[in-house]
Amino acid sequence: MLKRLVFTLLYDNGSFVLSRNFRLQRVGDVRWLKRNYHFGTVAESIDELVILDVTRGQRDLPRFCSAVRSVTEACFVPVAVGGGISSMSTVEQLLLAGADKVVVNSLLVDDPGEVAAIAEVIGAQSVVASIDVRRGDDRTPWVVISQAERETGRTLFEHVQAVTSMPIGELYVNSVDQDGTGMGLDLEMVAQLGDGFSQPLILAGGVGHSQHLFQGLSLPTVSAVATANLLNFVGDGLQRARTELRERGVPLAVFGL
Amino acid sequence: MTTLPKVGIVDYGMGNLWSLTSALTHVGAHVVLVDRPDDLPHFSHLVLPGVGSFRRASERLAESGLGDAIVDRVNHGGSVLLGICLGMQLMGVGSPEDGWSPGLNLVPVTTERFHDEEVERRRIPHIGFASTRFPQGNEGLFAGLRETTDFYFVHSYRMLPEGDLGATAVCDYGVSYLAGFDRGNVCATQFHPEKSQQQGLHLLRNFVDRKP
Repeated sequence: MLKRLVFTLLYDNGSFVLSRNFRLQRVGDVRWLKRNYHFGTVAESIDELVILDVTRGQRDLPRFCSAVRSVTEACFVPVAVGGGISSMSTVEQLLLAGADKVVVNSLLVDDPGEVAAIAEVIGAQSVVASIDVRRGDDRTPWVVISQAERETGRTLFEHVQAVTSMPIGELYVNSVDQDGTGMGLDLEMVAQLGDGFSQPLILAGGVGHSQHLFQGLSLPTVSAVATANLLNFVGDGLQRARTELRERGVPLAVFGL
Repeated sequence: MTTLPKVGIVDYGMGNLWSLTSALTHVGAHVVLVDRPDDLPHFSHLVLPGVGSFRRASERLAESGLGDAIVDRVNHGGSVLLGICLGMQLMGVGSPEDGWSPGLNLVPVTTERFHDEEVERRRIPHIGFASTRFPQGNEGLFAGLRETTDFYFVHSYRMLPEGDLGATAVCDYGVSYLAGFDRGNVCATQFHPEKSQQQGLHLLRNFVDRKP
């Protein structure tokens, strides 16, 4: 089975942003991303794109959808879209904007019934369960929701047990502590997830260079690694990382002719 | 009418057409969504997309008259047709999904769910990029592609490479199943070229550049 390189674009109230420990820094719109961050080259080197609306406070769904459309117009890979999804009506809008899958996070805690209702319509395989983890002082991996502003009181293991019994197709596990630091993935989380689930696992948070991608993708239970940091892979950085990973034996799809 | 639009995507309410429209536009096609049978004769190239239930798709094609109109264009009107994913399966004889429903019968192949003994313990649906090969050589729709090329698949049902299908593409998932075919004016892919990076765009360009 091939593994995947995933890129995550974060959107905040009209523009794309970089995140560090969930604090956001504005970068620009899609054209800006293409011009200054060579997003076109990045998009040609990934297996999948994730676009998340991480706007704090009131979201503007039509505006977000139009940003999603402008990205998906020139990005020819599967796209998962999420951020603040609370109902099927939001999902319908996102699908029309080009989403192949949707990403749910807080809804997994707030309304598992609605998650099931969404899966009933679009299929469980198209529902990605996103989980944000922040470690306590004793390094306990606690699950946080609402962009790390709310605590759930659940450990990663407890939450994964609850979530993987819902109709979801994939797990996307992100470390708030490593997010945007470029210091490497929290690989310890992988063991702390337990092994009582069969859904593919996407690991995110902390990728700074290709060695970090390699460390994540080398773990048998990790299907994909996601990075959201354009600065670390500027220009053809991700393309070169992809070639290097393949040379080191990571089974990745071959792109191009 | 002066110049005719080139590629008509059949819009029968089975899935979102934004990605496909974007990809075909990207390779230089003039793309129009068509939902009336009477409009089909305007197009030299037709695309039958689709995700979801075979049964519902089959019913919609029948009720709208689009199914008959597609068959007529392909058999007598000189259009070339590209079926994608569920669209490919609909070009066959039929599928037992939710009870038996007929396809357009353009190719003599039946669609079936992946059998448990075929896929053993592999996950269903089959999702992701997967290696695809071309037993008759990479020609026609598949011209210019690598000997084995990775394409993006999402499906629980499959066709097998049987009967006269012209040039075929084959993928292995416990069983060697049909990933695509090109029999002149009817061609199809089980995978999503519009989600398959540069190799997918190349295939779509091969289709768009084809003379009907």
